[in-house]
Amino acid sequence: CEGLLEENPKSVAVENFYNTPEDVESAVNAIYTPLRSIRAEQIVILDAHSDWGYGRGSRAQYNDFAGLNTSNANAAGARWDSFYKAIRNANLVIANAPNGDAISQEEVDFYVAEARFLRALTYFDLVRNWGGVPLRTEENMQQGDLPRSTVDEVYALIVEDLRFAEQYLDESPRQVGRPTVYAAKTLLADVYLNLGDYEMALQKSGEVIRSGNFSLVPVTSVKDIQTNIFGADLLTSTEEIFYFKYSRDTDQGNFILWILNHPDTGHFNFGGAYAHYGDAANPFYTEWDDADLRKGLWDQVDFGLGTTTLVSSKYVEPAAVSRNDGGNDLPVYRYAEVLLIFAEAEARVSGGPTSAAIDALNQVHRRAYGLDSGMESEVDLKFSSGESARFLEAVLQERGYEFQFEGKRWLDLKRTGKAQEMIMKNKGLAIAEAHYLWPIPISEINFNGAINPETDQNPGY
Amino acid sequence: QGKVIIEEDQYVTADKVFRIIGEQTNYNFIYPKEFFKDLPKFQLKKGEFTVSELLDQILRRNNLDFSLGNNTILITESTLVKELRQQYQVTGSVKDKQGIPLAGANIIEKGTSNGVVADFDGNFTMEVSRPDAVLSFSFIGYETKDVPVGQNTEIKVQLAEDAQGLEEIVVIGYGTVRKSDLTGSVSQVKSKDINAFPASNVLQAVSGRAAGVQVIQNNGSPGSPISVRIRGTNSVQGGNDPLYVVDGFPFSGNPTQLNNSDIESIEVLKDASATAIYGSRGANGVVLITTKQGKEGKTRIDIETSTSMQSLRKKLSLMNAREYARFQNLQAANDNIPLYFTDQQINSYSEGYDWQDLIFQDAPIISTSLNVSGGNSKTRFSLAGGFFGQEGIIKGSDYNRYSLRLNLDHNISEKISVNFNTTLTHLKTERKDSGGGHRGNSMIGAALSAAPISQPYDENGNYTVLGNEFPFVAPDIINPLNFINELSNVTKANVVLSRLAFTYQPIEELTLKVAGGIENRDDRSDGYRSRNFYNSEGIAGVSTGQFRSLLSETTLAYNKVFGEKHRFSALAGFTYQDFVKTTLSASGVGFLSDEFETHNLGAAQNHNVPGSSYSKSVLLSYLGRINYTYSDRYLFTFSFRTDGSSRYSPGNKWGYFPSGAVAWKLSEEEFLKDNSLISDLKIRGSWGLTGSQAISPYTTLNQLSPGNTVFDDQLVNTFAPGSSLPGDLKWETTEQFDLGLDLGLWEGRMVFNADFYVKNTRDLLNVVRLPSSLGFTSTVQNVGKVQNKGIELGLDTRILSGSMFEWDLFGNISFNRNKVVSLYNGEDILGASINVLVVGDNATILKEGRPIGQFWGFKEDGYDEGGRIKFQDLDGDGKITANDKTYIGDPNPKFIYGLNSSMRYKNFELTLFIQGSQGNDILNVSSIPSTLDYGQGMNMPKEVLYDHWTPENQNAKYPLISRNVSARMSDRFVEDGSYLRFKNIQLAYNLPAGISEKAGFRNIQMYVSAQNYITFTRYSWWDPEVNSRGAGTQLGIDHYSYPIPKSLTVGLRLGL
Repeated sequence: CEGLLEENPKSVAVENFYNTPEDVESAVNAIYTPLRSIRAEQIVILDAHSDWGYGRGSRAQYNDFAGLNTSNANAAGARWDSFYKAIRNANLVIANAPNGDAISQEEVDFYVAEARFLRALTYFDLVRNWGGVPLRTEENMQQGDLPRSTVDEVYALIVEDLRFAEQYLDESPRQVGRPTVYAAKTLLADVYLNLGDYEMALQKSGEVIRSGNFSLVPVTSVKDIQTNIFGADLLTSTEEIFYFKYSRDTDQGNFILWILNHPDTGHFNFGGAYAHYGDAANPFYTEWDDADLRKGLWDQVDFGLGTTTLVSSKYVEPAAVSRNDGGNDLPVYRYAEVLLIFAEAEARVSGGPTSAAIDALNQVHRRAYGLDSGMESEVDLKFSSGESARFLEAVLQERGYEFQFEGKRWLDLKRTGKAQEMIMKNKGLAIAEAHYLWPIPISEINFNGAINPETDQNPGY
Repeated sequence: QGKVIIEEDQYVTADKVFRIIGEQTNYNFIYPKEFFKDLPKFQLKKGEFTVSELLDQILRRNNLDFSLGNNTILITESTLVKELRQQYQVTGSVKDKQGIPLAGANIIEKGTSNGVVADFDGNFTMEVSRPDAVLSFSFIGYETKDVPVGQNTEIKVQLAEDAQGLEEIVVIGYGTVRKSDLTGSVSQVKSKDINAFPASNVLQAVSGRAAGVQVIQNNGSPGSPISVRIRGTNSVQGGNDPLYVVDGFPFSGNPTQLNNSDIESIEVLKDASATAIYGSRGANGVVLITTKQGKEGKTRIDIETSTSMQSLRKKLSLMNAREYARFQNLQAANDNIPLYFTDQQINSYSEGYDWQDLIFQDAPIISTSLNVSGGNSKTRFSLAGGFFGQEGIIKGSDYNRYSLRLNLDHNISEKISVNFNTTLTHLKTERKDSGGGHRGNSMIGAALSAAPISQPYDENGNYTVLGNEFPFVAPDIINPLNFINELSNVTKANVVLSRLAFTYQPIEELTLKVAGGIENRDDRSDGYRSRNFYNSEGIAGVSTGQFRSLLSETTLAYNKVFGEKHRFSALAGFTYQDFVKTTLSASGVGFLSDEFETHNLGAAQNHNVPGSSYSKSVLLSYLGRINYTYSDRYLFTFSFRTDGSSRYSPGNKWGYFPSGAVAWKLSEEEFLKDNSLISDLKIRGSWGLTGSQAISPYTTLNQLSPGNTVFDDQLVNTFAPGSSLPGDLKWETTEQFDLGLDLGLWEGRMVFNADFYVKNTRDLLNVVRLPSSLGFTSTVQNVGKVQNKGIELGLDTRILSGSMFEWDLFGNISFNRNKVVSLYNGEDILGASINVLVVGDNATILKEGRPIGQFWGFKEDGYDEGGRIKFQDLDGDGKITANDKTYIGDPNPKFIYGLNSSMRYKNFELTLFIQGSQGNDILNVSSIPSTLDYGQGMNMPKEVLYDHWTPENQNAKYPLISRNVSARMSDRFVEDGSYLRFKNIQLAYNLPAGISEKAGFRNIQMYVSAQNYITFTRYSWWDPEVNSRGAGTQLGIDHYSYPIPKSLTVGLRLGL
């Protein structure tokens, strides 16, 4: 009789999985799911914090620079949950893959490297937006109560993970969308930039550039940008370092189209919620050179908030399968960013803009005017070697133009200490302390005994 | 005297015996020939006997006497028979109050064994021994009546239904017992009450009828789930509904397939002595449902039909168009943004559109059933067909049930009989209960939030896009027409419940029963969102589920009376039941035409990944019970069950559930036996353990779920755990102690029942929330202990019982107190996460020493100088933090009650049925967005406009109208949910027997009734009977719920 009481669920369980390379690969794939599902939201919300971005409805509150209210704190909490779900899935791979009984050490190293790359990427998002967070690794993945680590400890893990990933990842991706050794180097460069280790940022970004594997996609029109860099039909491009990939399948597509678009633009076959927008009266926009093709990625649409309202047309998708499922990929790192990281690091290490630094900046700049990025041109920005501050400002501004709705600006402003200055300049607002870091969510504080809601919460909450 | 030798064993006639005696002796016999005409043959044993011995053998038992003379033997009637010879013949009839013949009624001459049974027409003929004889008329379910014969030769008797019913049979687990022999706590609800008014679910009929039983309706949608709580909430992991056993089959859930008119009785087993025989499924009580069985006699046909009209109980008083425009301007002014409306525009508006009128309608219920029953001494049957069709008061919703049932009994031989029950049901329901949400993104939310200055259709006849109407309107809101016309969600189900039992009775004391049963439910849900729905290209989804449960039961029962005083019965059994569920689902997006609906998923432009699932669990059980009664005064019951469940971790699969009970019938003791006041008095006590199977199959396994992600523009597989972390789990066990008293007064005209109980549940299973940084958001653990204790009182009286006027009153009241005794590490467990944008927080808490489901939030402290809500800083740290949250309400009632008054005057019957709940709170989540989410263009109740904070009105109900409202989960949203409700008021007229007989009917009853027409409550929203989140640990939450309607019914009951 006892045999009747055994459970045979006709499914796989943690206890009997992670044995073959196929098992482990499918477990690695599961790390992407939560990250892909929130990328669009993370991007638009970060950009609503910037000096050029605005949110509508409940998202209007992001532009008050007063910290997050309850509904937006909860939305941030939902993103936190997804980040940590990705970290859990990465930890399961890191912990279990080495014990597989039908997998080679080489394969184990490769998959662990991919998992550690994604874990590092996730902690990088967490540490910049929440500060020192609980550091979940394969060592403590079962431990309920875990205190916040310091920012330094988080970065230490990120660097350690990326060093490992850099060593064991492939030169070119097995499938488009998987990280390569260059993705790891680019992410490392960005991490070092944030740590103020410009030597290493320079070294890593330089390694990517010198590999010669990447180049900027040439464009001559706004449409080229929409189609050849961010288009829904693209499989990949020479500019892709690391992107989250989406496809025109239900629940597998990109949500950003719905968030950003307005039905009047005709850029998206499901209309759009135009939840985030820009303002043509904002100095960021008025000071922008009209000849810059990137400025053309904004359409002026008056939907009730005034005639200067701008709606983004960076992402265009005429054939989505539902409002949540466009085919456009979301860039995490493009080659343009490697060039700009290089430019900044080079200038900072050398104490001023070198010709290599200026050239890297101008490559991005020229391309934005529809010119050959490798040829000197009349739009080239010119600096003398002592103009360190002006050069760094120019790089920052170039990043501001280049990475709209890629979620970079607010973090750049925070990193460079320019946030208050620029927000005051372009929006005329003071930033409350609470706005710099999002609150540790209720879903963590209420159930993590090692976090004291009184003393461990971020400032202002 | 001579001896007679019988040479061999033989069967012989009386004549032959006399001849043998005559041949071997010289005796002659003198007797009237007819004495032996009908006598059977006698068995003569081989051997040598005296004449007396032989005659004794054959005569005494036939009430004959003999006297031996010298050569003659005179055979005469015995003294007893001589008395009977001097008889008086009486004829008559036995009927009930409605004039329906009571076939099979017993008529006994008091003090003798002389008796007859009434025939099919209720008629009888009998001879009584003395002119002063008293005839006692009795029939199961009716009060016994004594009538002196006197000079009458014809006696017509009408028996009243037995209010006290002490000799009634009560169904208990795996058997039946005389009601007077009950040792446990069992409530019974009869067919008449179950069928008093139309209800889609038989459990609705139990509400208010049985003490200690709380029937909780989630909302008013047709076919809405119903939860039943017997003696409070034990478990926080979900399983709090009792086990339903339909004609002996432990059913998998709510028995929605049954038609109310098919039910003979419902027994609710409450204490452990009654429920422990169901072991691991008994902790929440057991509801035994018995369908109508055929009776020996003339074939009877019963037809019932009724029509009801339901309507919304009340509309909420919302702002009209002009008020709305003024209100929006107030917000703009307070937030220092340009006003939305000019005075001229405001003045141009008047009433505007009340969107409640768009979604609500008056809606009918039609209910019809036919039952044919009858049989003879070998075969009995009951056959029924029924239809129940309900449309909902929200447009487009409905619930339809078609059912067929057959119950068949057949005696194959004296010792073997077979019993077969089967029900076939087809259910079809269209759901339109899009509730919840915020800013009008659900249908019900939108009906309250849509701007009265907007109209459902634009000038081109298209649905207005409400979010685009005005720039200040939040984009979330969806025109309810989208839900009504462009969204369909239809569920169809076929349910089969069949059970076949063979009974073998080799000797009278021993009964072996072998039964097998099957429950099968195939359902299919079709959801379609048309191309016309806001921002839709057409989405179709179909999902099907196949559930099957197989049951095998073998029981052996032994019944024996030893001597006069020892009554003993025992039961032992073995059962196996398994539960297999498979599902399949598929969906597609993007249709060129709405024509396909869900009927050609292949026509979709994109196909979603199809899904399928499988789960199986098994329950193996051994059970036993012993009942012993000494001298009809002292009753003892002991029962035991052991269950093995596949759902638990190895080593924890088996659970053991003993129980014991004692009862003392004081009224059988000498000192009370002939008491004129107290006719019945019994005290009962019981103790026992029961269990809960609160977890789903595979909960203890760390399963990985498949999914997809994208590389190369291709889908690839993913495997990862879900969001719940599995753990080692063992049984949740409930220990219950019960003390009861049954008191009957004045020959049972008044019966009083009282029970006191304490239930302690240990190893409580619960979802424990984990810090989300674990990647798992929850796990299940055996975390703690919960206690329920309470008192149940029932009173059943026959106030008046004349032949013209009768008045019966039945009432019950129950008090239950629930508290969490201990939790894992003493940690609080937060629940009921509520996110309506303006507030997002947990609204309930499990905390040691406090009841389950208690509301948890901030206490308000008036307004600050700017009109913003202030909160009490309970920990005094100068800040408002989560530490300032406290108890703000309790959804558990202080007591619940029911009162049924049934009056009959001649042929009229007036029935009032009142049901209520006192002292429970409701968390009105609807009111959070609907009264505080300003600046989003939402319409709101009028009082928000007329009673909000201004410098002149600082003591207002609502704060300053500004989009920067400082709302938190607070006591503001907690309302008193007590109510007293006339569940049913019915006036019935029975056509006089003469008239109906002429028309060829046994009886005809016509009635009109009103349900929910009178309700006393202080709850501000639509209806206090509401539980948006079901009846688990999130009781009493109202979040834009489908309201319960009131209804008016006319009906007809025919018997022939």
